Amino acid sequence: MSQSTRHHPKGRRRLSRLVNIGVPYFWLGLFFLLPFMIVLQISVAETALAQPPYTALWEWVADGLLQIQINLQNFMLIWEDDIYLAAFLNSLWVALICTLLCLLLGYPMAYAIATAAQRRRMLLLMLIVLPFWTSFLIRVYAWIGILNSNGLLNSFLLWLGIIDAPLQILHTQTAVYIGVVYSYLPFMILPLYANLTRLDPALLEAASDLGCRPLRAFFKVTLPLSKPGIIAGSMLVFIPVVGEFVIPDLLGGPSSLMVGKLLWTEFFSNQDWPLASALAIVLLAVLVVPFVLMQRLQQNMDEAAS
Amino acid sequence: MAVTTDRRLLEPWQDPKAPPYLRIDRVTKRFGDLYAVDDVSLNIFKGEFFSLLGSSGCGKSTLLRLLAGFEYPTSGRIFIDGVDVTDVPPYSRPVNMMFQSYALFPHMTVEQNVEFGLKQDRIPKKERQERVGEMLDLLKITELRKRRPDQLSGGQRQRVALARSLAKHPKLLLLDEPLGALDKRLRESTQFELVNLQERLGITFVTVTHDQEEAMTMSTRIAVMDAGQIMQVDTPTAIYEFPNCRFTAEFIGSVNLFEGKVIEREADQVLIEAHHGGTLRMRSFHPHPLGTPVTVAIRPEKMRLSEAPSPDGVNQLRGIVEDIAYLGDVSIYRIRSNGGQLVEMTLTNHQPRTEQALTWEQAVSVEWSPTSGVVLTE
Repeated sequence: MSQSTRHHPKGRRRLSRLVNIGVPYFWLGLFFLLPFMIVLQISVAETALAQPPYTALWEWVADGLLQIQINLQNFMLIWEDDIYLAAFLNSLWVALICTLLCLLLGYPMAYAIATAAQRRRMLLLMLIVLPFWTSFLIRVYAWIGILNSNGLLNSFLLWLGIIDAPLQILHTQTAVYIGVVYSYLPFMILPLYANLTRLDPALLEAASDLGCRPLRAFFKVTLPLSKPGIIAGSMLVFIPVVGEFVIPDLLGGPSSLMVGKLLWTEFFSNQDWPLASALAIVLLAVLVVPFVLMQRLQQNMDEAAS
Repeated sequence: MAVTTDRRLLEPWQDPKAPPYLRIDRVTKRFGDLYAVDDVSLNIFKGEFFSLLGSSGCGKSTLLRLLAGFEYPTSGRIFIDGVDVTDVPPYSRPVNMMFQSYALFPHMTVEQNVEFGLKQDRIPKKERQERVGEMLDLLKITELRKRRPDQLSGGQRQRVALARSLAKHPKLLLLDEPLGALDKRLRESTQFELVNLQERLGITFVTVTHDQEEAMTMSTRIAVMDAGQIMQVDTPTAIYEFPNCRFTAEFIGSVNLFEGKVIEREADQVLIEAHHGGTLRMRSFHPHPLGTPVTVAIRPEKMRLSEAPSPDGVNQLRGIVEDIAYLGDVSIYRIRSNGGQLVEMTLTNHQPRTEQALTWEQAVSVEWSPTSGVVLTE
């Protein structure tokens, strides 16, 4: 009896560990790796008048002869045609500007919530999350009504007498900035808030005690210690914004070409699944590689510091 | 004459003409309806190791935070070295604080933590490094200079916090439960180290603690606080031997309290009729009017225990041994008096335990001399 009871928990522990690790891996494999492999496969195919509209990766040609066809033209096209490069650069640019704007707007808001009295804190957080109760699409549509030439904003400015003629905001890059910053601000505020509430208030008192004025204490203590929150919030904004489709499609104009829009056009209008897939792969590479490198660098720096 | 001068140097509070280094003048701090600090006045002298002692919520931490400038008094003024600092913000006060949680900056190395305060004063780099080196040396943490706080043990963090708060050579060092986070053994050795450090640097220390033993060991003087008020300020010896009220008597160490009223006065002694029976004779310099309700406080180790009452003894209390707790060096006896009161006394175990005669349920007599305790009116 003692033998079995002694060995039983060990085997059980191993099993539970396997399950614990296995489930997320299985999940990732099924819903990330598998779709990724499919997209990767389509990206090296050619368009065809078929269903689905692309050629197969491999084909049995004759007895025992397997023909594998890898078509890299899509990637070469993306590399050579300026429109794709422009779309990528514009997407990255829009994402960068919007991330910075979200940070500049979101940090003071997160700070204000984190330092508010406990009772008001919940209310303020509620207000941040409240817009999620309405569909994202409806909220972006609502911005059309606001930014229109005879929309709320222009009417208000005309009424104030600040402008004589309506401003063309809708269908410009500015409208995209406004839409993106509005939509993604909560994703910046929430991780920052989580980070700032964990900050020990005694640290600021210590800084003050050691001769630091409040503003300096903020830059010397609060800001460096909120770095993880800044990074998390920035990533939550930057990454999805690069591939954002709905906002540039509804609010942006012909000049604000972004990858997401381009990808959509290739896929649905041009029925060019392989090119669309190749764009998706490149987009992923553009986003993932820098972040992996950055994380490595951070790790190395941390190790060097310790 | 020379002797008295010496005494005044060592105990400046004895000298009515000595200027206080820290003067707390009728300070009150109110949070809503709660008086956290209630009309406190206190003079602390240069070079003192002063302890604010009390249980949690007594206002000692609030008083310390008022001195640091983190709280602004509802009324009253605070003077340091003759200067009114009540309106001076914490970053401009010549005061530093060692926080209970240490509050070390987690994103900085030990060295950078210690240097932080010096940097704010715009001290040139060379001098800054010298001072940091000195401090690290003084607290024996030089080899930890490149580490971050999360790579340090509790004791090491305490040293870094101390080095950081001392680096600016403050006029006043405030310590909030400085040894609270250390384990017992480390706490005892650090107590002595802290006192040595304070004597070497000559900086005035004001510390907050709930640990009476810690306060007794380290302090020149102790202020016992309760409900925002100071109950008694005196040297550790005086606080222990001559408490001025029931609160202090019960808060510091153990004490036996006998309630009664004054029935007779003769010279420097009073006769007290105890509620639990018997007449007690105590020394008292206070002119208690007859009939005054008083409490006699006797420390457990100041009593004698014998099997039969001595013939000429005053202050005799008969009873039976109800409980004995053997602690090795001493034994604690709980004796139920014939009047029904429980009396606690400690006896040093001069003899091996086996040879001691007293045992449970034995009838005994407890005695003490008129000078062994104090008569309290509050």
